[in-house]
Amino acid sequence: MDITSIFTQFLSGLTYGTILFLVAAGLSLIFGVMNILNFAHAALWLMGAYFSYTFWNLMQEYSFAFWLSIPLAGFAAAAVGWFLEVVLIKRIYKRELHEQLLITYSIALILSDTIKLTWGVTNKLIVRPEMLRKPVFIFGSPLDSYFILVILSGAAVAIGLWWFLKYTRYGHIVKAAVYSREMVAALGIPIPRIYTWVFTLGIFLAGFAGGIQAPIGSITLGMDNAIIIQAFCVVVIGGFGSLLGTLVGSLIVGEVMSFTILFWPEGAMVLIFVITAAILIVRPWGLFGTPMRT
Amino acid sequence: MNFRKTTAFFVAVITCLFFFGMTGAMAAEPYNLGVALGLTGAGALYSADGVEGIKLAVEEINAKGGLLGQHKIELFIRDSQTKPDVGVREVKDLILRDKIRAVINDYSSAVAMAVKPIAQEYKVLHIASISNSENITMINPSPYTFQVVPNSYMQAKAAAVAIAKMAKQKGWKEFITIASDYEWGRSTQASAVKFLKETSPDLTLKKEFWPRLGETQFTSYITGIMAMKPDFVLGSVASNDNVAWMEQAKNYGFFDKIPYPGSLITVTELMLQAKTLTRGIIALTRAPFFAHMDNPMMADFVKNYRAKYNKYPSDWAVLCYDAVYALKQGVEKAKTIDTEKVKDAMKGMTVDLTRGRLTFRTIDNQLSCSSYTGTIADDPRYPFPIYKDIIEIKGSESERPESEILAARKAK
Repeated sequence: MDITSIFTQFLSGLTYGTILFLVAAGLSLIFGVMNILNFAHAALWLMGAYFSYTFWNLMQEYSFAFWLSIPLAGFAAAAVGWFLEVVLIKRIYKRELHEQLLITYSIALILSDTIKLTWGVTNKLIVRPEMLRKPVFIFGSPLDSYFILVILSGAAVAIGLWWFLKYTRYGHIVKAAVYSREMVAALGIPIPRIYTWVFTLGIFLAGFAGGIQAPIGSITLGMDNAIIIQAFCVVVIGGFGSLLGTLVGSLIVGEVMSFTILFWPEGAMVLIFVITAAILIVRPWGLFGTPMRT
Repeated sequence: MNFRKTTAFFVAVITCLFFFGMTGAMAAEPYNLGVALGLTGAGALYSADGVEGIKLAVEEINAKGGLLGQHKIELFIRDSQTKPDVGVREVKDLILRDKIRAVINDYSSAVAMAVKPIAQEYKVLHIASISNSENITMINPSPYTFQVVPNSYMQAKAAAVAIAKMAKQKGWKEFITIASDYEWGRSTQASAVKFLKETSPDLTLKKEFWPRLGETQFTSYITGIMAMKPDFVLGSVASNDNVAWMEQAKNYGFFDKIPYPGSLITVTELMLQAKTLTRGIIALTRAPFFAHMDNPMMADFVKNYRAKYNKYPSDWAVLCYDAVYALKQGVEKAKTIDTEKVKDAMKGMTVDLTRGRLTFRTIDNQLSCSSYTGTIADDPRYPFPIYKDIIEIKGSESERPESEILAARKAK
């Protein structure tokens, strides 16, 4: 196998990892700050993909339809997320983890049926602009031109979140809440309001990721089932609540999948689970997470 | 005396009327037909079309009074979710609660195989109209299970015949397979590889890829295969996954670099990917309506289907429509809706369907139907590409020999 082929496979892993990062970033943020393991995250991701299709479909005659439909999907999903937080999630903060899991899983099922009732069972396909339908070659390695947009979006989300957490007042509050919500509350900061906006931001990221995913293949019911497991693997490996951890975890999963498919196709997913299990045993808080939590 | 005679006469008349009335009431008994298809999950795309085909057939039959002109068909539709456990649960419920006499099931061969023993246990006819694993009818055969779609063996053999010709022309030596990792994908890939080795012994299988059912990201598979530079790739990727695979591979320029002959590209993909599907691919399908527009039954079906649903029928709509009409003709041959008699009547029966006059094989209840290969090309008559230079590989040319079926059953 030549160096070009290895680089091509690396690029594949990078794109796959970026897609996972976009999904897992919101999941990790919500768990890290609010301690809510949101099983409905992938259903909201799928809803984002369907929202993107609807916006694209409505504006098809305009050239900007494709580009605008992706962020709009994020905002539409965020609106659903905000509603869910205010009506349901807010009531389960103090519940046991298994109860939270059951409730968010129920929400996932309700959302799946809502998607089916709203958009039907037929697959939806977004047709990309001509410029994104051809491969580009990087050092001789082919890459679907759309994946450049995917990678750039992943980088923008990573940088945007990093900037938000490091340089904004709200970012500092969110980071502080990861370590000690009681201390943050003691400073007079309204934790419930912070939670609402963190949850909404997390779901915006899920919807945005769904919008990014939509033009990659067709949008189908049940797509969320597989991605939620992989997103959980990512946050377990990287560490819940750690942005850097989520990024590194996504890239590890993406690259391991990509290269294992090349050398041991049957074992690709198994290896991810082995790594996840090993991390859980040796370092339960993940590679970049922290065991500190009050 | 006269009074007694008159009374006896009236009693006899009333008794006769009563019994005739009873017979009339019995004749009007509806025929409960179950449908358990994967309306959600990986099979949703194909199953939705299948249900449309079934509904149209039932409407047509009921408009003429129902089966035998008197038994209206009542449909009971359930979602198997493309999962064997759910499929079994739903079919059991259809049998016990809705008292169905026959069930059309499933998209997934794994579900159909799980349902087969249930149908046999409760003596309910089971018609596989989309799922096409050969094992549905070959291994542990059930006299209640019939298959109206070309099975995986028939499809693989049809593809192999076409590919062998191309390999000889182009001097191909090595190939790679990519198939969905479940019953249908595995059995289709195994049959295709076996036939290729038989028809072209010089060909070498370089690598096998098995993306799981429900895969949405094929990028690593695509680049991995491209890196290995095979002479051609053989694909058996299922339903929704196939759409994602084809779209993503196309955007990598995969089909420009590597021949991809004999892959399953059904009318669903032709319609759904009309704008983006690569032209010139040599593909395989199961029941394309445009191959039989000269058959009046197909022409009428397409006309009525378009009028009702405002679209052309996919392979799955054709197959499920045919499943209902095969059942209808079974009932007509048996002259009763009694399941035991219908089952016996259908064995070895010749039926007139949209795909022509076809016969159920006695040994396995598999309909001896055709597979179709052709080159994907635009046609001004349709708003999507269709197959050109269609080669129809008849059931008789592609079926597994009976001796092999018997040997496989014995080995089991």
